[in-house]
Amino acid sequence: MDDKRIIGMAANAEYARWAHRETNPEDIFKKPEALDDMLVIDASHGSYAGLFASSILSELGAEVVRVESPGGDIARKMSPYGMMVKDSGLAYITEARNKFHVTLDITTQVGANIFKRLAQKADVVIETFKPGYLDQRGVGYRQLAVQNPGLIYCPIYVYGQFGKDAEKYGNQPDYDITNQARGVIMSVTGEPDLDPEVAPEYKRPLKQGNWMGWYAGGAWAAFGIMTAMYHKRQTGKGQIVDCSPPEGLLAISNYVMQYYHMSHNLMPRAGNYDYAVFPYTYVKCKDGYTFISGFTDPNWTALCEIMDRPELRAKYPTIKERLNPQNQPDIQHQIEAFTSKYTADELLRVIGSYMKRPDRKGTVVVGRLESPKEVVQREHWQDRLTFYVTDDPYYGEIFIQNSSFKAMSLTPGRIKWVCRPIGADNGYIYQKYLGIGKTRLEELRQAGVV
Amino acid sequence: MKQDGSYLEFLKQEYDVGKLFDKPEPLKGVRVLEVCYVVLGPAACDYLAEFGAEVIKFEGQKGDQMRFVTPYAFFWKNMSPGLEIENHNKYWIGMHMNNPKAKEIFLDLVKKADVVVDNLTPGRLATWGLSYKELREINPGIIQLHVSGYGSWGPWTGRTSYDAVAQSMGALSPITGFEERGPIKSGVWIADWITGLMCAVSIMAALNYRERTGEGQFIDYMQVENVIRWLDWTWLFTHKTGTDRKRSGNRDLAICPSDLFRCSDGWVAVAAFAEQEFKGLCEAMGQATLFEKFHDPAERLKDENARDILQAIEAWTAAKTVGQVEELGNRLGFAASRVLSASDVYHSPHFRERGTMQQYDDALYGDMVQHCYPPRLSETPSRLKWSSRPLGFDNEYVFTKILGMQRTAIKSLEEEGIIFKWNPSIPSHCPPSDWDEISGKKLS
Repeated sequence: MDDKRIIGMAANAEYARWAHRETNPEDIFKKPEALDDMLVIDASHGSYAGLFASSILSELGAEVVRVESPGGDIARKMSPYGMMVKDSGLAYITEARNKFHVTLDITTQVGANIFKRLAQKADVVIETFKPGYLDQRGVGYRQLAVQNPGLIYCPIYVYGQFGKDAEKYGNQPDYDITNQARGVIMSVTGEPDLDPEVAPEYKRPLKQGNWMGWYAGGAWAAFGIMTAMYHKRQTGKGQIVDCSPPEGLLAISNYVMQYYHMSHNLMPRAGNYDYAVFPYTYVKCKDGYTFISGFTDPNWTALCEIMDRPELRAKYPTIKERLNPQNQPDIQHQIEAFTSKYTADELLRVIGSYMKRPDRKGTVVVGRLESPKEVVQREHWQDRLTFYVTDDPYYGEIFIQNSSFKAMSLTPGRIKWVCRPIGADNGYIYQKYLGIGKTRLEELRQAGVV
Repeated sequence: MKQDGSYLEFLKQEYDVGKLFDKPEPLKGVRVLEVCYVVLGPAACDYLAEFGAEVIKFEGQKGDQMRFVTPYAFFWKNMSPGLEIENHNKYWIGMHMNNPKAKEIFLDLVKKADVVVDNLTPGRLATWGLSYKELREINPGIIQLHVSGYGSWGPWTGRTSYDAVAQSMGALSPITGFEERGPIKSGVWIADWITGLMCAVSIMAALNYRERTGEGQFIDYMQVENVIRWLDWTWLFTHKTGTDRKRSGNRDLAICPSDLFRCSDGWVAVAAFAEQEFKGLCEAMGQATLFEKFHDPAERLKDENARDILQAIEAWTAAKTVGQVEELGNRLGFAASRVLSASDVYHSPHFRERGTMQQYDDALYGDMVQHCYPPRLSETPSRLKWSSRPLGFDNEYVFTKILGMQRTAIKSLEEEGIIFKWNPSIPSHCPPSDWDEISGKKLS
């Protein structure tokens, strides 16, 4: 690769070259995998928390067996506007990476028994049923751990496996929207109540655009599983990893909980403002939106100088005034009155030339909001192999986000294949782990078990 | 569904919060050196610390910026809540890292450490002579993670990233917000927190591998790429259609129905994708024909149908209370939940019983009630031991216990300005004003 592209804007070029050699994406498949001694059963159903958790483990080398009901996981049907590629939607194809796909009807005695035998060999079982569902069928943690005390059992569910709310609402299914609703972050995200220019119908809690509830749930599950696995490697002991995705969000809800404890006050929805650093916001410009910051006194002075608005600086002289939610809509609109006269690139130039002035008063940062179409074209992401492109024998041309663990120098994360049709690996997996061959498999198929 | 009482009883015993401190910690014996500031790096280390890792945090003389970043410029007992949130159970060192003697001290600690984490400018540690090459020479098992917006190499390496920049450069905020309105930033620094989480995941992968082979490694993690990774079907959709994913408010474009609705007394999130679930919802609404028409989930995902269905639900919820919809959801098998606020969670017996919210008595700040990181591990649960600390609070403890330094040696490092403590004229560096000069000190 061209040296200039490797060192980019690095302050320390030698370091960049060294880092490139250590984490060159071209070497990924020459290197070992961190978790390739692990067997993971992902029996999740209709949950991208389960799927993301097992994606993480599979990128890091674990053998993941997806156990779907004979008709296929309903998660395969969750796709924007119903777009399908063969038997799977766009979301499923994104999170089916490296996984073997088998079908099994665990509501039958034979199926439950097969599940039990499979789980006895596993390090990890992930499931997303309602609490107690597998236990009632004799294949929950209590029963599986008898034969396999090292089992790490990870149930993922919106209300968790126990607790007052789990007892009260344990018959509800698990969805991203309810995970986000219970995750507190949604209560402080969305258009601000205090801005008179925002129409009332937009003054409501807002979810993150992606499946943040499910993805956070999945990432925390993977973290818990690997932590439990670390303990297991030292003691041989397994355990339950009870993952409730909203707890994964409320645990990262900035200081809302601390602030409540200390002041007994709640924080309102912040819009694009921030109650601890402001201006630190998105503003309108001629051709879209741009990020702009000028928080500390010197930086705020610089911003007002760039906008040629000395009276604004005088009106909001310290961070006390600028962090007051009553003042923020006005500050926001005043900045927008300036920025909407320029395109994002023009702003970059205006502010760039101010930053070169020897008499500048502080630092102002701007940056245009990238659309997905722009992101996929950026050289940086191409060089870092941020996206994985393949011509899959079954699903055709596929373009998905790659593992984000690619730059582990010794055990980089990777994608080997993107997805498999429903039940495509029944033959291989049942033969490998249970000695079920062609004839017996056909019998199970006829009985509707697989 | 009806719960098996004995399963619940079993779980309640397994998860008795009264026994938190009687159980082992999964990361006991893992020593982490944290050369991080602001939110992302410290959060990554915090996740490890609450599961038992011994995290030693290094701060410069000015102090971590989060000592000054706090909502409405609000401070509590001299502490900045902005600093508190990503710093628990840690040991606090004030040390001027870019100094030959400091480097020596740091390397002595590396010999006895497992993980080094930094979120400085890429290559800064290398410039100080603390590159992975150098660390590995003295400790072949060391795991070093560097995290930055764009990583250690590539056309954009060296570009500055903040949380809000990462949310926008990774296209999260452009897909968040209402259809006919502009993009909306998360109410929290979400790109920092979730990237910290994935850093902790990759450190756990490296620790697991080291347990198998004894080998350490270097990890380069990218914040903006992490945001990209989390955007589910966005990229395949863009590739297939050549268009951008649209903002859709609270409506889920891939699951229908799934949205937020107005009730007579607040907001309720409702979802019901599977046929049975949607049937339950339609039954609750008393609209059997809606189910007949749209029983097939794929049919519901078509844009026009989705809008009709969501409108019908909104019309129904308007006359219901949130509690009624939640209860119906449970009875008829669809998802329905209120939007929880901080006070809802704070006062909820559910989250106390689960150990999600833990109460502890901090030696400096007194009674604290906070969330402790998930997930809930039955055998080796996470726990809160103490809160954030004044600058340099644990200098003596760390240098004496781990490096065997004498009092006089510590004193002379202080005099040379290589190590230091809080600046008494900067309140958010300092202990609470009523501090007795002993409480919380580990070797006092």
